[in-house]
Amino acid sequence: MSRLVRVRAIAQKEVFHILRDPQILIFALGMPVALILLFGYAVSFDVEHIPLAVVDQDHSAESRALVAAFTAQDLFELVATREEPASVEPLLQRNVARAALIIPEGYARDVHRGQMATAQLLLDGADNMSAAIALGYANSIALSQSLGRARVQLGSFEMPVEARVRTLFNPRLQSSVVLVPGLMVIVLVLVAVMLTALTVAREYERGSMEQLFATPVGRIEIILGKLAPYFVLGLVQVLLVLTTGVVLFDVPVNGSLALLFLIASLFLLAMLMQGLVISVVTRNQMVASQVAAISTLLPAMLLSGFVFPIDNMPPVLQGLAHVLPAKYFVDGLRGVLLRGNGLDVVWPDLVAMGLFFVVMLVVSTKRFQRRVA
Amino acid sequence: MRGRRQKGAEALAPDPDAPAIAAERLTRAFGDNVAVDGLSFTVAPGELYGLVGPDGAGKTTTLRMVTGLVGPDSGAARVRGLSAESTAAVVRESIGYMPQQYSLYGDLSVDENLTFFARLFGLPKAEARERTAQLLEITRLSRFGDRRADALSGGMYKKLALACALLHRPPVLVLDEPSNGVDPVSRRELWDLLHHFVHGGMAVLLATPYMDEAARCDRVGLLHRGKLLAEGPPEQLIRGFHHATLMLHCDDRAAVEGAIEARPELLALSPHGADLRIVVPRAAVGTFTDLGRRGPARFTVSEVSPDFEDVYLGLLADAEAA
Repeated sequence: MSRLVRVRAIAQKEVFHILRDPQILIFALGMPVALILLFGYAVSFDVEHIPLAVVDQDHSAESRALVAAFTAQDLFELVATREEPASVEPLLQRNVARAALIIPEGYARDVHRGQMATAQLLLDGADNMSAAIALGYANSIALSQSLGRARVQLGSFEMPVEARVRTLFNPRLQSSVVLVPGLMVIVLVLVAVMLTALTVAREYERGSMEQLFATPVGRIEIILGKLAPYFVLGLVQVLLVLTTGVVLFDVPVNGSLALLFLIASLFLLAMLMQGLVISVVTRNQMVASQVAAISTLLPAMLLSGFVFPIDNMPPVLQGLAHVLPAKYFVDGLRGVLLRGNGLDVVWPDLVAMGLFFVVMLVVSTKRFQRRVA
Repeated sequence: MRGRRQKGAEALAPDPDAPAIAAERLTRAFGDNVAVDGLSFTVAPGELYGLVGPDGAGKTTTLRMVTGLVGPDSGAARVRGLSAESTAAVVRESIGYMPQQYSLYGDLSVDENLTFFARLFGLPKAEARERTAQLLEITRLSRFGDRRADALSGGMYKKLALACALLHRPPVLVLDEPSNGVDPVSRRELWDLLHHFVHGGMAVLLATPYMDEAARCDRVGLLHRGKLLAEGPPEQLIRGFHHATLMLHCDDRAAVEGAIEARPELLALSPHGADLRIVVPRAAVGTFTDLGRRGPARFTVSEVSPDFEDVYLGLLADAEAA
């Protein structure tokens, strides 16, 4: 009974701290919205409207048809036409164009003779991601052009082998749909780890931890009381990011909301414990915030599978990714949101995050002693 | 915690006949630095005991061992007969502790700080309200209930910290440099409060580097490098002082100071208006009287009765020489 009173006293005091420091609330609630707007609108991994420069030296119906094929969809956008191949390179250099299509004289002649007709595509490799995607587009355009020619010349023609691809769960391969789980990770690690690391380190730094230790309050009570408000704050963020994602970016919620919050809760608990470990070890806000930033943001961005696929990483990083909970959170979240997975599929993710939580709990209670020296 | 509390329950009730605080050969080192070295002392109920010493003498470490915040390497601290280490949970209930550092929450108001600590000590709501009002009254902070703690003056802050430490009516109060950063008026007020509580039977252990404060304690222990140099009521220490305090009446104080400051017999020296106040071994009084007559810098000597600071500086010099 008195334990509960003490936990509530500490939690309430923590709420006062949060409410009286506007920076915390701005950080905790403003940042998720800012991030999702930024990532949702400005940062897109979908590449469209690639600025294209064209050099048509053939001036034939065929060459114009090829240019039209490139610009027919939204993939490429014609920004310049030049007569000389040499004059497009400056355009690429100055970033006016990202790709240049050069159709040499004799293109139509070669097409009609049934010989191999070549057009050259110059790509800006400095932006390798866009370049790779542009290359993919270009190849498929060239292929459909070839097929069209073949049908004209042979009467009818079918591809000997064709892979029919149907993308499940995110048919248009929209990146904003995939971004929401990724953003959730970043937002949660920032708040859960950073804020708890700071708030506990602050008690050490300001000397109030010494005063707390001199009262009958127990260690577990301090931990529970201090972490509870941040747990609630974390869940509010999950709701915020999810709502924004659903409303603005049509993120589907195919699975159960309850399961989604279970996954988020477990991840939050793991992160709160990580923050606690950092603060009881460093006992210093400055160091704690740096350790928190490095130990959470990097894994959340790089090792969660949110931006880079984990399977392509070197073994050491893969191992690390499999220890940290970020990967399991993104995995579970994507499963529930996009694939509509149930507990029968995502339970390993829950177990992995639970394990991390238990390890951090043990480490923190071992290090969190009622001693000031 | 709970398991430990229940084990051997018969030994876990405070013993009313035991000293309020007993340090038994307390020793604690941090690395190579021995902060407290075989320190023993006791504080009785209704007694105000001052641990006096310069910075680094081991005062704070001693207080922390008494409150169970630092574990001793050897020896034990007992509060009302109970070990501050193995029965820390019970001991905490009977101690009010005020650390040296600012340790309340600056962004919480006076009332909120008090309510918070009342809840930590498990005071029922009605009792907490009554006790809070009473302590605010005694410390004359009633008007400032809504003020944020970080907007209080140094003296008011210390009074609030004292009130927070007294919420659960502890029989033992431990204060680490309570008047650090407090103006003289508030300081006097703070001391009046302390005497008020001591008269009510509370045992108070405090650490201070200030001699005038030490002189107001019932008993003091002079702490130097973790050991007690001397212990007793301040008047008794002054009476038993084996060195002599001399007042040197000089025409040119600076010249006299220059002439005598390198003398090996000199234990302490401080300016006193146009005069110099010095502490020397009794055997050296003649030497200084001669010195004043012969020059080069002339002065006349009169012996005065020592005060607590003379005792402290003299004993400290003895210890440094040993």
